Amino acid sequence: MNDAPTLVQPTRSRPWRRARRSLARAKWPLLAMVILAVVTIAAVVGPSLAPKDPNRQNVIARLQQPMTPNRAGKVEFQLGTDGLGRDVLSRLIFGARVSLLVGLNAVVIGGALGTSLGLIAGYFGGKIDDVIMRIADIQLAFPFILLAIMFLVVLGPGVMNLIIILGIGQWVIYARIARGQTISLREKEYVEAARALGAGTCTILFATTLPNILAPLTVIASFNVASVILSEAALSFLGLGVPLTVPTWGAMLAESRDQLLAGRWWLAIFPGAAIMLTVLSFNILGDWLRDFLDPRLKQTS
Amino acid sequence: MKILGLAAIGTALLFGTAHAQRPGPDTLVVAQTTDPDSLDPAQIRSRDASNIAQHVFATLYEVDREGNLSPYLAESYAISDSGTEISFKLRSGLTCDDGSKLSAQDVAYSFQRAADPANRFTGNTPGFVLDAVHYKGVRVDDDLNVTILTNEYSPIAVGLLAETFIHCKAPYEKMTLARAAQTMVGSGPYRFVRWDRNDKVVLERVEGFKLRPAPFKTIVWRDIPEASTRATELLAGNVDIITNLSPDQIGRVNASAAAKSATVPGTRRIFVGFNQKPEFAKTLGGAAIQKVEVRHALQYAVDVPTICANLLQSPCRRATGLVNPPNDNKSLTPTPYDPAMAEKLLDEAGYKRGKDGIRFSLTLQGPRDRYINDTNIELAIGQYLSDIGVETKVEPMEFASTYSPLIRLHNAGPLFLLGSGGGTWSALYDMADIVAPNGGTNYTEWNDPEWFDGWKKINASRDPVAQKAIIDNMQRVFYERGPWLLLYFQPNYYAVSTKLDWAPRSDEMIYLYDAKRK
Repeated sequence: MNDAPTLVQPTRSRPWRRARRSLARAKWPLLAMVILAVVTIAAVVGPSLAPKDPNRQNVIARLQQPMTPNRAGKVEFQLGTDGLGRDVLSRLIFGARVSLLVGLNAVVIGGALGTSLGLIAGYFGGKIDDVIMRIADIQLAFPFILLAIMFLVVLGPGVMNLIIILGIGQWVIYARIARGQTISLREKEYVEAARALGAGTCTILFATTLPNILAPLTVIASFNVASVILSEAALSFLGLGVPLTVPTWGAMLAESRDQLLAGRWWLAIFPGAAIMLTVLSFNILGDWLRDFLDPRLKQTS
Repeated sequence: MKILGLAAIGTALLFGTAHAQRPGPDTLVVAQTTDPDSLDPAQIRSRDASNIAQHVFATLYEVDREGNLSPYLAESYAISDSGTEISFKLRSGLTCDDGSKLSAQDVAYSFQRAADPANRFTGNTPGFVLDAVHYKGVRVDDDLNVTILTNEYSPIAVGLLAETFIHCKAPYEKMTLARAAQTMVGSGPYRFVRWDRNDKVVLERVEGFKLRPAPFKTIVWRDIPEASTRATELLAGNVDIITNLSPDQIGRVNASAAAKSATVPGTRRIFVGFNQKPEFAKTLGGAAIQKVEVRHALQYAVDVPTICANLLQSPCRRATGLVNPPNDNKSLTPTPYDPAMAEKLLDEAGYKRGKDGIRFSLTLQGPRDRYINDTNIELAIGQYLSDIGVETKVEPMEFASTYSPLIRLHNAGPLFLLGSGGGTWSALYDMADIVAPNGGTNYTEWNDPEWFDGWKKINASRDPVAQKAIIDNMQRVFYERGPWLLLYFQPNYYAVSTKLDWAPRSDEMIYLYDAKRK
């Protein structure tokens, strides 16, 4: 009989190992992560990756097809040029920055605001709950894109305004989930125990309850990034996103409208594919996260 | 199978709807780029709105395709010896759409209503015509004779007065200004049926109107701002004529069996205005463009022939002023593209590049989807100016509701891109944009004394040769010190259904009197 003490793995490392195994088994989430990693790298180190200044015009070289060699036989514009002779590849790389910046920041703002309000509504209940949830209902009654257009017309286009408006537009979804989860947790023994030990309301909300409702919120956030990126593209397409000098995928799509009829496919295909792949990747990752963090949801769905 | 069936029904419905939108043989559909901002005859100013209105409202005279005056509601005119009284003799038996008789009182009312400061109209008649003819008042001589009184003689007064839409007093006196902006009670070959905002204006033939032919029972003027949508609607057969066909789509249109492009040299002067309004002088850039040396330097910064060749796909000669050929001053040569010269002149004017490479900053405002490839042209100009150290922020705007009011109130800028309709029938017509320092169409509020002295000299002269010399000198002043960054005369790109016989005009006026189905 071996009396030597058994080595116990720290419990914190197990979810990561489980996650790695799960990712290796399911190939699509892995592919989604690779795509998102590429987009993230493009967003972070875009200026050093991009072959040209994305706003530099060269009207003589406008509307060049992808991989068109110049007189010296060298391909200058790998993905072609747009109506002003700007390099499509460079604009695509810089566009990733705006998409991710807006997508992630808006979700952080909406998530933080919504989760806090949801926790408060769920924990206190009564009139506080009524007021917060009625405000949420009122906001839901407005079509979001209309609300965003209204605010952007008043505030003017710009990355910061876009992030704030898209962020504020997302809080309801987090508030409703956080509220529902908090209501089911507030009578749990460990919450009672924290209260009995003299923990303050803030501690109970953010240190005791919040960690236990993070899983569904994380899943929602991953889907939400995708929908915010789509909203940013839609608003930029309508000319309400960011100024014309900031390249975004939505604005690139908008600029391609006049050229589609003339058969300049590359102006729509590349930004369209970038939006589609990024949104799809976030959705696939969200699906996987949902299955991974709460397998019961998979059965329900 | 059920799903397939539903999809088939949906598709059939969609195609059915598309087919239902096609105009019938007695309906003509024209797609323009902007919706009218008003239908009030005294408030209409844009070319698109005028094209609609000139089928509803008749005028005293009309300028034809060749630039000649032809009688319309008036059968003749006479100018007094002093040149300050222009009398028109009306045809007899004229009526308005509501059945009321159209007499000299109604003609007088059309001018008085437009000139009434209480109405605060800023349309073509009060904002351009009345300024340019030095309008003083109007006198009714009898039922068929009316005299326009002016403060000064103007050699082009009759041509200018021919732009005023004549309407009857009775219906317009009953209407509030708000109501008058939404409907039209006219005097021409078509009557107003309805206006669906941002969609279409529908007109219907006035049976029995004899002064002009009205070959179609219904004319629908659609507002389709986006170039590719206009072209698609034409190719689908839902529209007969489109304006401002994108040059990039000419090949696609001509390759189709549904439509063909029609290009004519245009008279619209596209320029970048340097707004001289004192409010704009509060910034470094705004103050800089008030100086002649800076405006002169910036002329060298923009490569106009390259813009024309690539963004308009049409070679052009850079404009030397605001007057269309052949009336322009032939001794002036287009400013060449010479960024080094621009930089040198800016250095000499005291605007050297800072450590960040910037001399001063400016905002260039402009319309979106109003002129051919306008947004790209604004961005290209922004790039050219930024290249010489004038950091330029480009702000394209929706035309009818956002940009047009800014222009009208002289609040666009400090740089603004604009296209001003012109003509070839007289140099003075083109020059009349800047007839007074506070004139409605002097959007830059330029107030060069030599220019305005020139107007006085022209109006004091009756000798065409002497007038030509003054006109040429004024064009030289404009070339050297003017408030425009001179660009080009915009070619007109139309596309017309192959089932329609219609030819465009160079002045962008769309008259459908001579259009017919093949």
